[in-house]
Amino acid sequence: MAKAGVISDYLESLATALSFDRVLARSVREEVEDHLCEALAADRTGDRLEAERRAIANFGDPLAIAAQFAVVSLAQQTRRAGIAIILVIGGVFATMKARLAWYAMTEWAMRDDLRAVGATVGLVDRYAFRLSVVIGIAALITVAGRYATSRRQLRRSFLLCVAATALLVVSVISDGVLTALQLAGGDLCADSLVPLLSMTIEIACIGVLVFLVRAIALRTASTAALLNL
Amino acid sequence: MLKGHLDMIVLAALSAGPAHGYAVIEEIRRRSGRAFDLPEGTIYPALHRLEQAGLLASRWVTAQSGRRRRVYSLTRAGSRALAERRAVWQQFSDAIGGLLEGTRPWRKPA
Repeated sequence: MAKAGVISDYLESLATALSFDRVLARSVREEVEDHLCEALAADRTGDRLEAERRAIANFGDPLAIAAQFAVVSLAQQTRRAGIAIILVIGGVFATMKARLAWYAMTEWAMRDDLRAVGATVGLVDRYAFRLSVVIGIAALITVAGRYATSRRQLRRSFLLCVAATALLVVSVISDGVLTALQLAGGDLCADSLVPLLSMTIEIACIGVLVFLVRAIALRTASTAALLNL
Repeated sequence: MLKGHLDMIVLAALSAGPAHGYAVIEEIRRRSGRAFDLPEGTIYPALHRLEQAGLLASRWVTAQSGRRRRVYSLTRAGSRALAERRAVWQQFSDAIGGLLEGTRPWRKPA
């Protein structure tokens, strides 16, 4: 239960300033409420209102505190995105290999007139994927550091995450084009299900990643706004 | 000056045993002879950051007052990090001491 009056107003403004992360806001609010109640209990002056005001003044400006939490929260989110990039890279690689194995097993060859286009798209796919692996690992190393909480470090990690995601998007689009070329001309049959299903998995994986990176971009903007206040 | 050492100060305050945020602040005040009277709100982001780094662990308990309370404790990695920082700080302190006193050259331990 929040204390009525000055303290509850303070807790409310702190929770509002932390609204970029509702779970964090709830947990911090509860923690700070406990702190302020302890401070009040330790105050022997007898003037309740004055003691509440003093406890709040000693605790500090809610926006300044929220800004510090925002950096911690952003670091955590960036770290999750770094891990997600590696998982998505692994997922895309596995589905790609499964699709190729399926083509080999069913002796499913691309039409001769499409092979030249297929080779070019395949080249783009290969290099985009390889680069995304290198940059994705770099992003993970940057954010895996224990104290990856400086703004410069977080910015670098974010840019690496964006670059790795963009390259993965290119790779998945190329995979889609290659799959379309492979299926072109043939009738859709039960054998087509494996390539189509593998493409669906790739698109879903990349969709999750784009969503995560977008969330980091939004969080970065709100953190910057709090820090510049 | 304190900002760069806040993590070490918080780790040191928790070396006595698990504690909640308010108790950590009180411990810092007590052990520093009230020399470090930090803005109380700055401790909590530091506690969360250290937990994220794996140097602290936390759990929620119910206090005697009935309020839920988050209690922090050092992890093994936290104890190791504190020992390392303590050693570095000791070396730094000895070196500065030698420099200011100007009587004996400070020797780096082998």
